[in-house]
Amino acid sequence: MTSRDSKPFPALPVDRRTFLTGATAAGAAASGAFPFGSRSAEAQSSKSGTVRVWGEPGPYGGVAVAAMNEWAQKNAPGLKFDIESIPWDGVYVKLMTDLAARRPPSLISVESPIAMQLMAEGLLLPLDDLVDKIGRNRLVDGVKWEYWGAWKGKQYVVPAHHQPHLLLVRMDVAKELGLGDPDTWDWKDLLNAARTISQKKPDMAGFCMALGRNLCTDYHFAALLHSAGGRMFDAANKFEVVFDSPQTVEALTFVKELQPYMPKGAVEYSFLQVVDAHVTGRTAMSFYWGRTLGRAAEEAKPVFEATEAFNHARHPTTKRRSNWNDFQGWCIPAQNNPYIDEVKQALVYQQTSKAWLIKYCHSLMPNVAPTYKDVADAPELKEHAFYKSKPRTVDTYFKTSLAHSSSTANELLQGVNPLAGIVHGRSVLAQTVQKVVIDNMKPQDAAKWGAKELSDIRRENARLLG
Amino acid sequence: MRNGYALSDRAVGLLFIAPFAVTALFFMVYPIVEAIRMAFYSYNPLRPDLTTFVGFSNFAYIFNDPLFWDSFWQATVWTFLSIVFQTVFGVGMALLLHQALPGIAIFRGLLLFPYIVPTVVIALIWRWIFNPEIGVVNHALLGAGVISQPIYWLSTPSMAMASTIMLNVWKYTPFVVICVLARLQSVPLELYDAAKVDGAGPIRRFLDVTLPQLKEVLIVVIVFRTIWTFNKFEEIYLLTKGGPGTSTFNLAVYSFEQSIANLRLGVGAATGVVMMVMLSLGSIIYLRVSGFGEDEKAP
Repeated sequence: MTSRDSKPFPALPVDRRTFLTGATAAGAAASGAFPFGSRSAEAQSSKSGTVRVWGEPGPYGGVAVAAMNEWAQKNAPGLKFDIESIPWDGVYVKLMTDLAARRPPSLISVESPIAMQLMAEGLLLPLDDLVDKIGRNRLVDGVKWEYWGAWKGKQYVVPAHHQPHLLLVRMDVAKELGLGDPDTWDWKDLLNAARTISQKKPDMAGFCMALGRNLCTDYHFAALLHSAGGRMFDAANKFEVVFDSPQTVEALTFVKELQPYMPKGAVEYSFLQVVDAHVTGRTAMSFYWGRTLGRAAEEAKPVFEATEAFNHARHPTTKRRSNWNDFQGWCIPAQNNPYIDEVKQALVYQQTSKAWLIKYCHSLMPNVAPTYKDVADAPELKEHAFYKSKPRTVDTYFKTSLAHSSSTANELLQGVNPLAGIVHGRSVLAQTVQKVVIDNMKPQDAAKWGAKELSDIRRENARLLG
Repeated sequence: MRNGYALSDRAVGLLFIAPFAVTALFFMVYPIVEAIRMAFYSYNPLRPDLTTFVGFSNFAYIFNDPLFWDSFWQATVWTFLSIVFQTVFGVGMALLLHQALPGIAIFRGLLLFPYIVPTVVIALIWRWIFNPEIGVVNHALLGAGVISQPIYWLSTPSMAMASTIMLNVWKYTPFVVICVLARLQSVPLELYDAAKVDGAGPIRRFLDVTLPQLKEVLIVVIVFRTIWTFNKFEEIYLLTKGGPGTSTFNLAVYSFEQSIANLRLGVGAATGVVMMVMLSLGSIIYLRVSGFGEDEKAP
């Protein structure tokens, strides 16, 4: 057992491993909270075996599976749900190879761009029958079911969480240098702040985002692109490529301007390295999801205490503050899946248990935000040390960020985009950024290069667009 | 005494070779034939129902793709420099280990360590070693005053290429050492004695006795190392993922990217076929030019 495993959850009197593996017992109370659907109507299953569930790294997948195992104990004693964590940078390769090998898991929690691709390819099961059981009107304000994955009138994905990336700022540094309130910043202010920190704080970068050839860079850059009002594709016009635009050039130019104030190694940074840079105090500001705060709380208390999260700096003209929000959901592969009925029932069980969903959110605060009103408004959700010590930051992740949500899978929330998963598989956005920050290509030329790649993707995958 | 089950020598030979032949058929011949077949098809693994015959389109695609040619030149640089350093260090270390010193067997055993440890473990360890902020290499160099600023080993194209070459040299030099050492131990000592009598010094003895004796084994080692290095995927992918940018792409990484990230399995297969042809031709030309096996042919 690692030291991290044995650290207690801030809000719970148990250690992480006990919490995750012993959740079945703890979940007995959860079965009491069941306002939607009817458990008594569930059929018993005589099937046996291991139900493979894929999820991204983090304890929350384990919590969800613990809830499903609680269902299995009562309704399918021969079944055991088992979570397989897939690293973010490996998720595309793992999914594609296992699906191609016709060996998919029975249930997948995956980031929305890939879910949209799988959905449009016809590889997922429609889940409309689950929506009413889960509660069609439960979604928090400002979101729609389609954000998680609907295509041609059918719902293919049900919510696991929403997960925005925000601007994390070391407020001790900001106050010391008189940088003002980050909530009021525009791009120019962010750039000035990064410059000031770099100049006045030796051994500390002003700002950090991913610039490597990876998914994290795709997401970070996409948020800047969307803030500038740019997009990759025009969902309203048969997904014509609109990437070769002044907005793309502006976003690329901004990244180039920020680069001198980032860690030099940022050109190879992905998810982990950006978190490392912030938690170890090598940067005063960074773009990231809520995971950084969880890591800092465990490993660098002073960094945790000094860090607050803000909606992104406004674009000077559009005033947009777009974040890349992962509307991550559960989807069920339609082919080579022997446990479809059981997975559906277990998923409804987990989704309709307020107690389990609160445990899910508490397992890595404030990384995974609640998607249902009854969970988001529950007083129990606030019974967590993070919520008590950083209510504004947690509320920014959980609630106020929704007004600025965007995603490559649903650019500026103007329409589901089934091509985004392929774009990320090929790291088109990250490569475009790297043309500028490594090869010193002009942003205009890099935008043209990226647009050509996107056009190839659109042409090769026209079948997905219907 | 013979009985009814006696087999001829030829039959026994065929029987012994059968396990290898069957294994090779399934695990070498079939994949090669399948790759060649797939190179002529457009094949998306997620939608096998859409597979279509496309003739030479996949080959036309890669030959028109600037990244293919970048990958080819980068693979050539990575292979050439890796082999040169492995050969030089390998021969040098083999000469040192050939000395009859107390405890030399321990050093010979330790030498195999990099070759034994799985590549994935080594690559991940080297990522930490090369970490610009907390890596031991920068720490040592800064501590010794050799550098004043951290080196970003994997963050610039030239340094990333140098780092992947260093990893490859470190891991595979022991293979060269073992091969060369085995040959050194079978060189007749009379040759050195005769050279000494003729007044040859250490350098002359190395050039005129040792090196000619090593020629055949070095030719074989270089051919194998060239093929294996040119095809190498996991070291580069695990260490740099072909980056920064695409500056450490070789053809194996290019093929992987086309197959898995781009879901163009036909293009990936075509790349593999081109690599096979390149290496086959290169090996034949090299063996001819180096005169490998001519001693046996001589009357």
